[in-house]
Amino acid sequence: MKRNRIFLLLLLVFALLSACSNATTSEADEVKLILGAYTTPREAYGEIIPLFQEYWQSQTGQWVVIEESYLGSGAQSRAVIDGFEADIVALSLEADVTRIQEAGLITHDWKEGEYHGIVTTSVVSFAVRPGNPKNIQDWGDLTQPGLEILTPNPSTSGGAMWNILGLYGAALRGQVEGVPGNDQDAAEEVLKAVLRNVTVMDKGARDSILNFEKGIGDLAITYENEVLVGRQSGQNYELVIPKSTILIENPIAVVDANVDKHGTREVAEAFVAFLYTDAAQEVFANHGLRVVNPSVAALTTEQYPPVPDLFTIADFGGWDPVMTDIFGPEGVYSQAILQVQRGE
Amino acid sequence: MDKAKKGWGAWLLIGIAVTYMGFLIVAPISALIVGAFEEGLLPVIKSLTTTAFRQALSLSIRIALLVVIIQTVLGTMVAWVIVRHNFLGKSLLNGIIDVPFAVSPVVVGYMLLLLFGRNGFLFPLIEKTGVQVAFAVPGMFLATLFVSLPFMIREMIPVIQNLDRQQELAASTLGANGWVIFWRVIFPQLRSGLIYGMTLTLARALGEFGAVLVIGGGVQGRTETTTLYIFRSLEERRLIEAYSASILLGSFSVIIVYLADALKRHQMTRNALGVIEDSFTAKLKIE
Repeated sequence: MKRNRIFLLLLLVFALLSACSNATTSEADEVKLILGAYTTPREAYGEIIPLFQEYWQSQTGQWVVIEESYLGSGAQSRAVIDGFEADIVALSLEADVTRIQEAGLITHDWKEGEYHGIVTTSVVSFAVRPGNPKNIQDWGDLTQPGLEILTPNPSTSGGAMWNILGLYGAALRGQVEGVPGNDQDAAEEVLKAVLRNVTVMDKGARDSILNFEKGIGDLAITYENEVLVGRQSGQNYELVIPKSTILIENPIAVVDANVDKHGTREVAEAFVAFLYTDAAQEVFANHGLRVVNPSVAALTTEQYPPVPDLFTIADFGGWDPVMTDIFGPEGVYSQAILQVQRGE
Repeated sequence: MDKAKKGWGAWLLIGIAVTYMGFLIVAPISALIVGAFEEGLLPVIKSLTTTAFRQALSLSIRIALLVVIIQTVLGTMVAWVIVRHNFLGKSLLNGIIDVPFAVSPVVVGYMLLLLFGRNGFLFPLIEKTGVQVAFAVPGMFLATLFVSLPFMIREMIPVIQNLDRQQELAASTLGANGWVIFWRVIFPQLRSGLIYGMTLTLARALGEFGAVLVIGGGVQGRTETTTLYIFRSLEERRLIEAYSASILLGSFSVIIVYLADALKRHQMTRNALGVIEDSFTAKLKIE
C-alpha cells in the first residue's frame, strides 16, 4: 500500500526534524550566564550586554553568552526559587531578592559594597494624556471623582508596590493637599479614594503602561523610566513627577547556588561590577533610569531633576515592616482594596 | 412566492453568518496584516530573519513535531483500548481525557512546576538523572503534550468505532495474520482520522502560550517559543516583529489545517467509490 508508506515516511520526516535538536556549537572558550530580570530595564540590558561581551573578551579572551529572561519582579523571584537557574537576578525591589535569600539560594551579603546592591533608581510618577487635560500635578489631583487610573496589581508586580508606597508615603508626610501629616487614618482615606478611581489593574508595570498607550484611562501611575522609554519609542503621553514621591531602588544580586553549580561566579560578579561602570550607567540613564554612579548622575541632573520631597523605603523602616504592615493580609493596602471592592 | 420568502430568510441567515465570521476572524487578521506591512515589506523580512526569531520558531517546530508523533502513536493506542477493550476503570480513563480542555494552560504550567520545580515531588528523582525539566525544554514539551492530549484521542475514537469488523473477519478467514490485517485492512481506514488528529494537535502545540511560559521561564534563545517571542516583542514595542511572527505562525497553521481538510475530503471520496475495498481484494487475490 503506497499511501501507507507515504504516511509512514511523513512520520519519519517529522521524527528526524524534531531529532535535529539544538545544533549549538559549544566552543571550548565560551561561558554562559543566565540573567533573570524584571521587565522594565530590558532595553537597557539589550545595549549593555554587547558592551560587557566585548569587555570580558578583551579581559579574558573568553566569549560570554548571556541568556535573558524578563518576567514581573515577583514572578521572576518565584521562578528562581522554583528552580530557574539564573546566575544573576536584577529585580524591581529588595523584597523579591530577600525571598530568594530566604530560600537559601543567595548566601552572601549582597547589600554590602559601595552601592548596597542597588544598581538603578527611579521615582514613582504619572503618565498623563498630551497637554495634561485633567490638569494633574500632584497626588491630591488623583482623588477627583470620575478620573480613570491605571496601576498594576501589587500582588504580582513590584512596580505596583512602589506606586502604593509613593501615594501612602506622601500622604503620611503631609504632602498631599488637604491631608494632615502623620495621620494614618487620613492617609488611608486618600489611598482608598485613589483606589476607587483605579479602573485597570494589570499584572505588571509594562502591561499597565501598554494599556494606557492603547487609550485606556486618564492617567497611569508608573515609574519615571517607563514614561521616558515610552516617549522615546514615539508615544506622546507626558510625564508628571509629584512633588513628594518615593525613590525606587532596583537591586541586583549574584545567586550563589546557581553560579557555584555552573562554575560562573567569576564572570557573574564581573558582570554585576560592570553594571556600575560609567559606560553601563550611561546606558541605563539613556533608557530613563536614574543611576547610582555619582559621576554619571552628575551629568544627567538636567534630564532627571531632583524631587523636592523624595523619600525612600528606609523611611518606612525597610521592606520587612512594609510587607506586613502595608501589603500583608491585615495590611493597610490589603484592607483598603478589600473595602473599595466591597464598595465602601 | 414561497420561494421568494425562503430566499429572504436565507439571505438574512447568510448575512448573519458572514458578518459574524467577518467580525470575529477576518477583521482582526486584516488589522494584523495591515499593521505588519505598515512600513513596507523590508522590515517584515528583516524581522523574520533575526536569530531570536529563528531560534524561537525552531524550538516551536521541534516541540510541536515531537508532540505530534507521540500523540499519533499513543493517542491512537488509547483510543483503540477505549473502543475495543473492556477493563476496570475504563470509564474513568475516558473521562479524564478531556481534563486538559478544562484546565487553564497557566495552571498546567504550575502543576508541572509543583512536580518538577526545586521543591517539587519529583525533583529528587530528576536531580539524580541530571536532566533539567523545569525551566528547560523537556518541561515545555511535557506541558505541550498535556494541553494537546485530547485532540488525537477524540478524533480517533469515532473512527475506530466505525471500523467494519466484517472486513477484519474476512481477512482473517482468508488467512491474513494480525499484522497484515492491521496494515492492509485497519490502517487505511484510520488514515484520514489520523491526519486530521495530527493537524489539530500540531496547531494546538504551535499555539500554546501560558503553560510553556510558566514551565519554561521564557529565556531568550533557549526556552522561548514563537508565541513567547511574539509576546516579548509586543512588550518591547517592536510591533512589526510581533505582527510578522504572528502572521507567519498563523498562516503555517492555516495551511496545515487546509491541507489536512483537503486530504480528508480526497480520502472520503475514494472511500465512497470503494477504492480501498477494491484494492484490498485485489491485493489478496495477488497473494
